[in-house]
Amino acid sequence: MNLLWLVRNPGAHFAGRTPALHPTHPANMDRQVAVTTSVVMPSVLTEIEVVIPQLYRYAFALLRNRADADDLVNATLLRALDKLHTRQEEGNLRAWIFAIMHNLHVSRRHRAQYRSESFPIDDADNTDMVPAPKEAHARLEDVVRALDRLPEDQRIVVLLVSIEDLSYAETAYVTNAPIGTVMHQLAYGRERLRQLLGDETPPALRLVK
Amino acid sequence: MTELEHPISEEDLHCMVDGRLAENRRVAVERHLRLHPEDARRVAAYTAQREALQAAFAVGVERPLPSSLNLAHLVEYRVRARRRTSWQIAASILLALSTGSAVGWILRANLFPPAASGIHELAQDATASYLVYAADRRHPAELGPAQSRDLAHWLSVRLNRPVAPPNLSIIGYDFLGGRLVATRRGAAALFLYQDALGERLSVFVRAMTSLRDMPMLKVPMDNINGCAWVQKGVGYSVIAEEPYDELLGLAQVVRRQVEAGEIVR
Repeated sequence: MNLLWLVRNPGAHFAGRTPALHPTHPANMDRQVAVTTSVVMPSVLTEIEVVIPQLYRYAFALLRNRADADDLVNATLLRALDKLHTRQEEGNLRAWIFAIMHNLHVSRRHRAQYRSESFPIDDADNTDMVPAPKEAHARLEDVVRALDRLPEDQRIVVLLVSIEDLSYAETAYVTNAPIGTVMHQLAYGRERLRQLLGDETPPALRLVK
Repeated sequence: MTELEHPISEEDLHCMVDGRLAENRRVAVERHLRLHPEDARRVAAYTAQREALQAAFAVGVERPLPSSLNLAHLVEYRVRARRRTSWQIAASILLALSTGSAVGWILRANLFPPAASGIHELAQDATASYLVYAADRRHPAELGPAQSRDLAHWLSVRLNRPVAPPNLSIIGYDFLGGRLVATRRGAAALFLYQDALGERLSVFVRAMTSLRDMPMLKVPMDNINGCAWVQKGVGYSVIAEEPYDELLGLAQVVRRQVEAGEIVR
């Protein structure tokens, strides 16, 4: 499948019967596969493009460092492009890519643990990478700091549900956990945050519509 | 009524926070919250958390994305890599078929430096095993992790020295199993591992004809990366679809286990 060609011809389809795009046109015999897949592919690429800012936001929330988030999303996208052909068409593309990123993050985390044993990393320069909310946003800073105190599996579930607005089923799919486990982690994570932050709620909050 | 049939659960409270309740259920939960101030306090606190987290990390999407995340660039990069890969696969097939012919020799000179020492041949054997067995989704290994002891015993007999699979779970690779591999220099052991993404890593072990130690050497392949080294007359090769720097870190774990006498004694 010729991905490059698809990118350069995002609107390509058969409807116009342009000889240059027609699969059986002699000039295009070797492009037949690309032309056939092009009906689906550009829309998939557009769909992926929509997910990229979300992936980046989540990666940043997880890693709290732009360079690391950038690197994780970059690796995720490359892997998604490589595995695109193995994916079932009607599946949820966003959850699928988030699952790729989750797996990548988890396996990198294992390796980082190993690496940090052998090469201590000086992370003093990471402090300015933390989003620096203004004084008015001191409360956001508190929330972020409290979030850091959650075990990682709870933090992941709270973030996926809260900032990415994934459904509980999607979160279970992404983290490869039973939905009961996800609900459990969500409940524990939120309750722990409440204990750390206290009950005071900003005035913007509304309980009843 | 509905609350009696379906009492309000913890899950309902979270669904309330996340806006995932159907209208009539939402009304029921709101009624429950009016009667249960402690639950109402929790839902309020969780909702505030949710909003605060969204506000705190909106930063990720406000700025323009780095160019490294430009999808068109990534696709183009991948296409180029893939073209190179298919060429390389074609080349190695040609190489296998026509080692004697001129074409074979030209390609051979390009892909593998002339066999100055056995380590290059070891690297070729390891690469061939990786390409054939790591790609096998159904039966990558002959004996799985449940038969580790049988596997170690079998390979030890065939390699004529005690051999055991390295443990790579610390670096995120689970043991898939292993097998005996035939090479021109006799029997070799292949151990296969898989990470959470299904990416595979192989550790290849074979006795060398020369007893000279060799430092770690890069195995020249495109999409996959590998390295090989020789310690006390035994050759090792680690191959995975990882960037070379990353792979070297993984290989060091294997090497350390070799040095500790955990793999070959």
